[in-house]
This record gives sequence, C-alpha cells and structure tokens, in this order.
Amino acid sequence: MGFIDPSMEPMLETFIYETTTLLDQLDEILLESEKSKSISDDSINEIFRIMHTIKGSAAMMGLESISNLAHAVEDVFFIIREDPSRMQSVSEAIFDLVFQASDYFKAEVDALQGDDYSPADPTHMIDELEKLAAIMKGEAAAEPAAPAPAAPEAKPAAAPAASGMQRIRVYFEDGCQMENIRAFMLISQLQDVCEAIESVPDHPENDASVCSEIIKNGLLLCVRPSGSFDDVIKVIETSVNVKSYEVVEEEAAPSAEQQQESGKEAAAEPAAKTAAVQSPAAPSQPKAAKQSLISVNQAKLDQLMDLVGELVTAESMVAGNPDLKGLTLDNFTKSTRELRKLTDELQDVVMSMRMVPLSGTFQKMNRIVRDMSKKLSKEVELETIGGETEVDKTINDAIADPFMHMIRNSMDHAIEPVDVRRSLGKPEVGKITLAAQNAGGEIVITIADDGSGLDTKKILQKAKNNGILVKPEQEYTEKEIAQLIMLPGFSTNDVVTEYSGRGVGMDVVRKNIEKVGGSISVETVANEGTTFTIKIPLTLAIVEGMEISVGGSIFTLPITSITQSFKITDPQQIIRNTDGAEMIMLRGECYPVIRLHEFFGIHTDVTELTEGIVIQIESDHKSACIFADELIGEQQVVVKPFPVFLSHYDIKGCGLSGCTILGDGNISLILDANNLIRAYEG
Amino acid sequence: MSEMITKEIQDDLDGKFLTFYIGDAIYGIELLHVIEIIQVVAITPVPNVPAYISGIINLRGKIVPVINVRTKFSQPEKEFDDKTCIIVIEIEGMHVGLIVDSVSDVANIENDQLAEPPEFNASASNHYLHSIANVGGRMILNIDCDRFFQSDLIASGSYSR
Repeated sequence: MGFIDPSMEPMLETFIYETTTLLDQLDEILLESEKSKSISDDSINEIFRIMHTIKGSAAMMGLESISNLAHAVEDVFFIIREDPSRMQSVSEAIFDLVFQASDYFKAEVDALQGDDYSPADPTHMIDELEKLAAIMKGEAAAEPAAPAPAAPEAKPAAAPAASGMQRIRVYFEDGCQMENIRAFMLISQLQDVCEAIESVPDHPENDASVCSEIIKNGLLLCVRPSGSFDDVIKVIETSVNVKSYEVVEEEAAPSAEQQQESGKEAAAEPAAKTAAVQSPAAPSQPKAAKQSLISVNQAKLDQLMDLVGELVTAESMVAGNPDLKGLTLDNFTKSTRELRKLTDELQDVVMSMRMVPLSGTFQKMNRIVRDMSKKLSKEVELETIGGETEVDKTINDAIADPFMHMIRNSMDHAIEPVDVRRSLGKPEVGKITLAAQNAGGEIVITIADDGSGLDTKKILQKAKNNGILVKPEQEYTEKEIAQLIMLPGFSTNDVVTEYSGRGVGMDVVRKNIEKVGGSISVETVANEGTTFTIKIPLTLAIVEGMEISVGGSIFTLPITSITQSFKITDPQQIIRNTDGAEMIMLRGECYPVIRLHEFFGIHTDVTELTEGIVIQIESDHKSACIFADELIGEQQVVVKPFPVFLSHYDIKGCGLSGCTILGDGNISLILDANNLIRAYEG
Repeated sequence: MSEMITKEIQDDLDGKFLTFYIGDAIYGIELLHVIEIIQVVAITPVPNVPAYISGIINLRGKIVPVINVRTKFSQPEKEFDDKTCIIVIEIEGMHVGLIVDSVSDVANIENDQLAEPPEFNASASNHYLHSIANVGGRMILNIDCDRFFQSDLIASGSYSR
C-alpha cells in the first residue's frame, strides 16, 4: 500500500467502495445504451458525472493515472453532451473505449486493495480517447453549415477544431457601445489576412441583440490565416476598441457551452436544435427505482450477527435457567415467550441484512457476453431471470467467478458460429439463459445455452486417457459422462482465471461452488444445448442441524446430509471385512460404519453398536453410516468458522466444517459428511 | 493524536508483566498482550491439533483456542481446580487462551532487574523464555510470546494471507 499517501489511507476504503459502485453504474448505463443503440441525454450526463467524480476522488488520492484517464473520458462525453449527434459515427469505438476504461479502473481499484500497488499505464487509452474527441470535433466542423437559421449555435461550436483553424477570443473595451458593429468591422479587417473566417456569434452586424453576449463572452473568432498567424494578431492588436484578446487552445468545449447558453438567451426564438441521438420514441424506461440505502461495513454486520447469536443464546439460558426448575411462574413464562418472539424476529432481520440480490452478479455476466461476442464474432444474447433472488453476501461473492467461467465456456465452446447455426436451422443469435430461483432452503441457478451440447464421445475418450474412469467405459450413461467434465484431473487447467476460457477447468468451478456448500450438475443434449444446475444454500451462516451426542461431546450434523437414522436390533447386520472394519448391510448394500467416538478419540460408555444410534449420511456420491450415542434433536445453528489461529492445522480435513455455540453456551462441532467419509477412507 | 495515546498506553504497560504459576515456577507475560483473565470454562477438544492445544472455548460468542501451558512446557498434567485460570491474550490480532495453574499479580520489572536466561539448559520451557527477572527475591521467568507461539503462527499466518 506504499503507493498511497499514508494520510490518505483511511480514505482508501471509501474511495474503493465509491468507485466500485460508480463503475457498476457505468457498466449498466453503457450496456443499456449499447443494446438500445442510442444514448439518452440522461445517460450522457450520468456518465459525465461518474467520470467527473472518479477523476476528482482519484486526484485527491494521488492516483494520477486513474484521474487522467477519467479526465479523458470526461472530455469525450463533454463533447457528446454538447451535441449528441457527433457520436453517431464513432459510437461503437466510444463504447469500446469506455468499456476498456471501465475495465482499467476496475483492475486498478482491485490492485489498490493488494499489498503493493503500482499504477498501470493508461496512456494508450487516453490517446485513443483524445483521437476520438478530435474526430468528433473535426467531423462536426466538416459538416456543411447546417440550414442557417436552424442551429446558429451548433456550427460555431463545431468549427474551431477544423485543421489549420486558430481560435481567438476578443474582448472589446467596456462601454464602447455597438459591440456587434465593432465585431463586424474587426472581421472585415481580418478578412484581408485570412483565407477563412468564422465568428461566434455569426454575422453580428445583423442583430443588435448579440451585443450583451459579446460583452459577456467576447467575440470568438475562428480563422485560417492566409499568411502567418502573427499577421492576424497584429490586426487585432491595432484595431480600435479592442480591450484584450486571447488565443484559445484546442479545447473547444467550454466556449461552445457558454456559447450555447448565451445563444439561447440571445435568440428571440428558441433554436430548433434537435439532438439527433435521443432515446427512441418510447419514453425512456424508468430505471429501477432508487432505494434509500446506506452502506454499512460488512464487519459491523458480522458483529451484529454475532451479537444476535449471543442474545439468542443468553435468552435460552435465562428461560431455561436451572434455578427456575419446579417453580410455577405464569407471568415469567409469558414474558420469556414475548422475548423469544422478539429475538427470533431480530434474528430474521439481521439475516436479511446480509442478503444481496443476484442481479449485480448477473449484470457482470452481461458484460462478459458482450465482450466475448465481439471477440469471437458470435451473436449471443444473455437472458437473465430471477436476478432479484437474494443470497448471502459471502455466497454472492464466491459464485461470481465460477459463473463467469461457465459463461465463457458456453460462449467459447458451446455456441456455434453464425454460419454453422444457420446451416443447422437454429436462430442466428445464440442464447444463454441465466436463471435463479428460490427453492426451499436453496437457491437453484441454471446456466443454459442452446449450443452444440457436450461431445460425450470425446469426453469419455479424454477421461479414459486421463485415467479417471472408475468403471468399464461402456457402462457409463450419457448423464454420467457429462458429469465427468467436473472431475478433478479431467482438465489440465487448475486455476479459474479471467483468461482461462479454454481448456475448461470445470473441476475448479465445482470446487468453488462446493466451498460455499453448493453442488453442481450438468445435462446435455447434442445440438440442443447444455444446462448446468447449481444448488447453493441460501446462507452460509445458519444450518439446519441434528445434534448428536458422543460421550461428553455434542456434534451437529447438517440435516441435508442425513439419509436416515435407526437402531441396530440385530447384531447379524454387522459384517467385518478382512482388516476388521465394520460394515452394515442395508437393503442389499454394504456401508462402512464410522464410530465417531473412535474416530475423534472421545471416551464414551456407549460402545456397543446395538446400544447407540446409527445415522446414514450421504455425501456427493458416497454413503456411510456413523455411530453415535444418541440423537438429541433438531436445531438451527449459527455456523462459526474455526479460529484463524488453528487454520494451520487441518481440522476440516478430518470431517469438521466449523463450530457453533449451543443454547447452554457450550460449543458443538459441525460434521461435514464429505470430508468425514473422505477422512475415514484415508 | 491517536498515535500519541497509543504510545502513552504503551509506556504505561511497558515493563509490566502479568505473573502466573505453573507448579512452583513463576512465569511472566507482558501485560501488553493480555486481554483478560477468566475462570476455566468448558473446553471443546478439536481433532488434528498438537496435544498442547486443549481445544476451543466460547468467550462471549467468540470462539477462542486455548493452549495448556503445562503441556506446552512438557510438564505433567494437573487436574483443573478453582485456581486454574485462562489468560486470554492477543497475538497478531488473534485471541488465544492460556491455561495456567493460577494467576499471581502484575509485577513492575525494571530493565536492570532482567537477566538473560541461562544458555546451557535447553529444555523445552527454557526455549520460550525471553528473560529472567528477580523481583523482591522472586524469580520470574518471562515468556517470549513470539517464540512461544512460533510453531502455530508461522503456518496460520501464511495461511490467512
């Protein structure tokens, strides 16, 4: 963080937050505008404002490169704001550049959060933007002076930048009267030394009302000197009543703006200037209503959640206090019931505060589809359904990368080029559907494309070559083959990066999704498309669990991984394999028995399988039975990670995913079926 | 401003050591590290960790790992009694509890009272010592927190980054 002035560091977080928010807004506007192939005045102003803010705050943070680039974009939009028609011919280039700029900003903001930040060089983008700005100015100037009365202010604003033109602003002496005539005289004098001359206001001699304008803003002259520019200056200098003059540098815009405003004041009739690039006939879509939001540090939310967790615990400690045993306390019971209701409500509210809609992540995918379409020259439309579905912030952050990866894969491999699609009789524009819905305690997200589908033969071959098949080749069903792509070892890429669009790496996608407790499956139909289905829990923080006791310890087992629980009545059900490991026969299938007390080395009196309880658990594809003393009951528990201090030790590797605080203040360890089975198998 | 205050507090705490007993020996730990002292509460053991990490406790909703100093110093185990305490300390932003036989008091130790620990006796407990102080005839063995937690910190630090 050495790059940032230490005194500014406290501001850094705010800067990053603000800029990120602004950039998201920017992307949204750009995508919307590009899609509708028009840009409304509102959007232009909004982009201008965003760039202006970023420029300002970056400059304050001493981030020159960001500030400079923002400035360049701001300039371009300044010109567009003046006259939206100018961007027509270059709109595509502008969109591309602004997208690029937005990417640059994002990358920089990301880098800022790292340890050592050094700014990347945005010069090439600034150059491009300046070029564009020049083109826009130049083009407008080259246009024939629009029908004379129609746009008196459009032309002069446009004129200045044309090649070889010099711009001079002349102010006349205060109170010299008849400024318009004096301006005219000056222009006439200049005509001798100039090949071409234009003035703002145009033809001042015709209209006395422009006097006030000339007094206020001076007379703007655009001249192409026939000889040297110095001659022109000399004429102006020697001219009577000229108080001062200035040679205006390239920057056309500010004067143009003043000009426009004053032009409006001066002109008796409202100028019939029509911005060519207005939003289409339909009134611009009302944007998502602005909510009244405040931003809160996530750490504070976490803290609040912890406090509520403690409150719930404390409440049950009070209500179930052993001192109260045997007493009849009607009023007390009533009060505690009221308290319970309130704490439950409070807990719900706090949980809901951590929820964010998926639309933000979906929005990012839009962007990827757009960029990839251009790069691959494929036509693809992304349809998003259910963006309002909410998930925990942590989950939302964790799934963005896998999604991006899958969309890239679909774009790259699944969707066929336009001509192939045409010959197959498919619509030319490919379609990717991103849909989310809330189903019980889970969010189900599907990513479906209408591309070529997975090539099961090729997959099976590759899986065989990589030696990851676990049964004879011919026994694999189509569905099973499709799942193979998500096995580790299928693909050679092992990191999800922004650019790993090729060679897949679906096992990494799967891993990332599993990290937040989700699962993924795939279905494919040749030539019709592929559908990935992802199921993720609504929230990481609360798990519906079954509490089971082993000796003095209490474990929590997520309900979702329990298949059934039962008592063993007949010791004959137990089989021992050659190395003495216990197995149990259930409906003709054999499952290993994991004795929790042995596995975790806990002392208990219940060691006979017939005395305790057996719970069948299921992970991805494997199933096993665990043996515990007894079931205590079902409860919603707040999952807490193990302390960072212990992260060095592989606690998760031996089948525990975290811990939770029970109603009596004790800690219960949360079992993780996947890791437990894996650890048991060694 | 805040820097000044922090410095003042630091000056205030400098040279102050919380002393505690393991058996008959008095150990000292810099007061700067100490957050609070609590009674022994229920400790939940966790698998796959070294023996001296007794487990985790619930400290007002916070999960805090606890280390048995006796085991860490390779001394025989002793049953917890009502004098047994957990000293909660902060190291590199993490809270850790230390189970000790009993807490004695806070000692002011001047620099001239400190002596280097003897080199020749390289036992496990000596290895973690920073200095030895003689305060009013009592020998206080000062623990070097960095060395004490070294084996846990190297890995957990690199992991969390």
